[in-house]
Amino acid sequence: MITIFRYECRRLTGNRFFFGMAAILLFFGQQTFERVTLTGVSHTAPFSPWSLGDFACRMLPLLWAAALSFLTFFTSPQARRTAVLTACCPVSPRRYAAVRLAAALAGTGILTILCLAEAAALTAWYFHLFIWDIVWKNLLFPALITLVPPLIFALGSGWRLGNLCPRLLFGWMALPFFLRLLPLADNFHLWNGQFFAQYPLTAGVLDPAFFIPAPMVLLQLLLAAGGIILAGLFPLPALPMRTRKRTAPKSREKRSSL
Amino acid sequence: MSALIFLEWKRLLSRPSARLILFLTIFSPAAGLFLFRPSAADTMSSVFLANPALAGGAAGGILFGLLSISELDRGKRSGTDVLVWTAVSPYTMAAVRLWALLSAALAAFVLTAALWIPAGRILAGSVFDVLDAFWAYFIFMGLALPLAILAAVSAFQFTGRADLSLALFGAFAILSLTLWSGNWQLCWLNPCVWALSDDFSNFRIFRSAAYMRLTWAAGLSGLWILSRPAVRRRKKRAAALFLLLTFFLAWTFQPFTDHSDPDQSVSSFDQIPPADGISCVRRSVRLFPDLRAGTVRGTAVYHFLNTSGKPQSAAFGINPGYRICSASAGGTAVPFSFDGRQEFNEALLEVTLPTGSETELVLEYGGFPREDRSLSAMQGSAEISEEYLYLPNADLAPRLLNVRPAGETIPAVTEITLPSHMTVIPFGPSHAEITAENEDGTLTWRYESEGTGGICYAGDYVRQDIEADGITVEFYYGRKHQDVMEEAGAAEAIQAVIRYCTEHYGPPFCLSGRTLKLIQSRTSGGGYATDGASLLDEADFTAANLKNSAKGAAPGEVMIHELVHQWWGLTQMFDSSDPADPWSAEGLTVYTTYRIVKELYGEEYADTHYTDQWIRETNDYYLNFYVRRPEYFSRLPKKKQLDITNRFSRVRQYCEMPLKIRKAEQLAGGEENMDRILRGLFSREIDPFHPFLTWETFLNACGLTEEDLNLDHDFSI
Repeated sequence: MITIFRYECRRLTGNRFFFGMAAILLFFGQQTFERVTLTGVSHTAPFSPWSLGDFACRMLPLLWAAALSFLTFFTSPQARRTAVLTACCPVSPRRYAAVRLAAALAGTGILTILCLAEAAALTAWYFHLFIWDIVWKNLLFPALITLVPPLIFALGSGWRLGNLCPRLLFGWMALPFFLRLLPLADNFHLWNGQFFAQYPLTAGVLDPAFFIPAPMVLLQLLLAAGGIILAGLFPLPALPMRTRKRTAPKSREKRSSL
Repeated sequence: MSALIFLEWKRLLSRPSARLILFLTIFSPAAGLFLFRPSAADTMSSVFLANPALAGGAAGGILFGLLSISELDRGKRSGTDVLVWTAVSPYTMAAVRLWALLSAALAAFVLTAALWIPAGRILAGSVFDVLDAFWAYFIFMGLALPLAILAAVSAFQFTGRADLSLALFGAFAILSLTLWSGNWQLCWLNPCVWALSDDFSNFRIFRSAAYMRLTWAAGLSGLWILSRPAVRRRKKRAAALFLLLTFFLAWTFQPFTDHSDPDQSVSSFDQIPPADGISCVRRSVRLFPDLRAGTVRGTAVYHFLNTSGKPQSAAFGINPGYRICSASAGGTAVPFSFDGRQEFNEALLEVTLPTGSETELVLEYGGFPREDRSLSAMQGSAEISEEYLYLPNADLAPRLLNVRPAGETIPAVTEITLPSHMTVIPFGPSHAEITAENEDGTLTWRYESEGTGGICYAGDYVRQDIEADGITVEFYYGRKHQDVMEEAGAAEAIQAVIRYCTEHYGPPFCLSGRTLKLIQSRTSGGGYATDGASLLDEADFTAANLKNSAKGAAPGEVMIHELVHQWWGLTQMFDSSDPADPWSAEGLTVYTTYRIVKELYGEEYADTHYTDQWIRETNDYYLNFYVRRPEYFSRLPKKKQLDITNRFSRVRQYCEMPLKIRKAEQLAGGEENMDRILRGLFSREIDPFHPFLTWETFLNACGLTEEDLNLDHDFSI
């Protein structure tokens, strides 16, 4: 399976789409950093967890689209035609799907790391800070909690939708954009990008320590769990079978009467 | 090829997805009425023409971009491209598909305009102008669709993949709608349209948006040609290079905004040392605006006395869009040059005057005036058309910078030739008179003024004289606006403001002959005042405002603010040498405006729209990271530093200072005591050597120290 995983990773990352997507994300990230993050979010420093978390939130829609785009490699009509061959291999379908999803996750992870590395590098360059300090102290946790659960959910839900109908993936790519327009409840503010911009203003102190309320963390964990369940990677408990009383078929009785 | 295009067009429109996108595009302007409202002004044209057209352009552009990628990918996915290419070359087929998509976009635009222009007439009412409506929909929406198609098709042809081209096109659109929305050259999908005028023309903003769109059309067309399957390579490359070069040149040498120094705390033109031994006796200007082209041509004559016995350099500030056609003294050409510096929408021109005790310098100049780059997202004020003309200072004539007047001031005569339906209104105490009726039906107006600058308005104006507390107000407003002004009770509103200020502070003795001009300008988001004249923004009195129950028929607040400047800023002057100084005429003017609004609209309205806003913005300023940690501010790039500094100086003058004055009012014992203090300051004896009302004078009058008025986040007032 490791060989298959490596092959799938090479297939996803060794093509024009990956490099083109990386270029788009880097350019968009640079523009976002220069025009928004650099001015500081919610009166905090531009290198604070709040500002860098806001940066991650703004990159999420494009990363979500990239994750779903990776799935189109597996759910496209061409890929479905070759599934006839791959289905003949003595490999558990669930394990094969897990390997493919892991490859998609790896590709998405590489793009995510590129975006975050760009933010860290720009921050270090502007403010003459040590890049590892920025990453470990201010960037890692906000990025993990902001990006990882939605991207796992994207892959899981996208896998399910893509297997139903490949075109649904393209519509599903628009979800983060719609969420940003909706006035969601406070605990859902990580989903519409308002958490990092608004929460520090309610903290009552300047430059508050980075903190995410427990309900939000729980929601993010549920989102990740939802993605894993939708991907079908864990077998759901089987329903008990119903037993029926067997009776003789009516046609035999008719023949015997003749 | 036209047969192929028609065939492809028919095939495209037979698809349900294409019809759905056509349908959605036709109804997308509805989003501009409720969801997507980028125009900030309250004029009817902004609300019911600009916003729907901009929303239609953004939504329609995105929809047609998605359709383009879907159509191009369809042939690839189904494998039919290979078959088609056996009959038609891929090079030709790419062009056919593009033209089919463009034709579909044209059909969508025609149907949208046919539906929404009449709808705009119903919604906008009496101020609706069919030409403005057509240009709004054509430029803001119609030109967005081809740009989106070119961008999407180019992305697909370069990448060969639907997913990557979707991502590329999506990022390009998102950038325009979000991060680039404040840059007028970058926002290809949603042009920066701050306002459309109801009463006057909008040619400037239409031209600017059309220029931006055509610039992008050249660039995207070049990209599309480069992305096409190569057959005739040399011609293709030459055409693409030509278009890309056109894009680059049009971008770099755009004629709409200048390159003024973004650092607005620097005013080096005012610090040019006066030329020794030279003085200006008088000056005159003759102007011939070309109202169709939006350009100005003029001849300015300056009479100098030169007692230095050597050549001297005279410095002028001139609009950066103008060029000097000739400069002569005594009939002989004299050398001149542009310094390269630009500040506050003026370029520095230096002319070498010959030796000679008396010199008559004649400058012939002209061109398309540029607007200040700091206001590039709010273009439209430099309007020159058959409906409206606005020429301020260096736009009117080269403004003398370094030559003293021979007497107390420099007398000036201005002549301007305009169509007969336009009335010329100098922004100041003087009045224009008709001196000649020309054969082509135009009239030549003449007025006298003084000083080195001057502002001239012209348009189809109506004049109403209003008497208020011994002051005669000459109220000029656009003829189209007459019904709204009468319904809004504008005259009564003006009387109310003047009565308040006169009763509380005293009559403004800056008014010459106790006459004040109040001129309605094309919507610009603000205004200004000078001796004997104040500006009124057309957005102050709109039909939309009349429906606002919170305001009713009460006066617009910009008008109040500009009228109050006759008291604070003109009668009582403030030292404006440091533009970043928070103490300025704006503090007391905003405070007084708040007091008037409180009396007219009620305390709750005044607190919501004034005090609360001051607190919010001042709090944002104090809490800003760079204000609290200036050592990090110094590490930012200069441009970013200037952006932040310019934004904060405005907050300090318009929000922090009025908040401090309100605190002074409370510490002084209430509104009555503050009125008594301000009355005393207004009518105090002025030191002719230092006539300014300073912050220290204000504190002394209140019996307070600077520390007493420190806010320190204590906004409990």
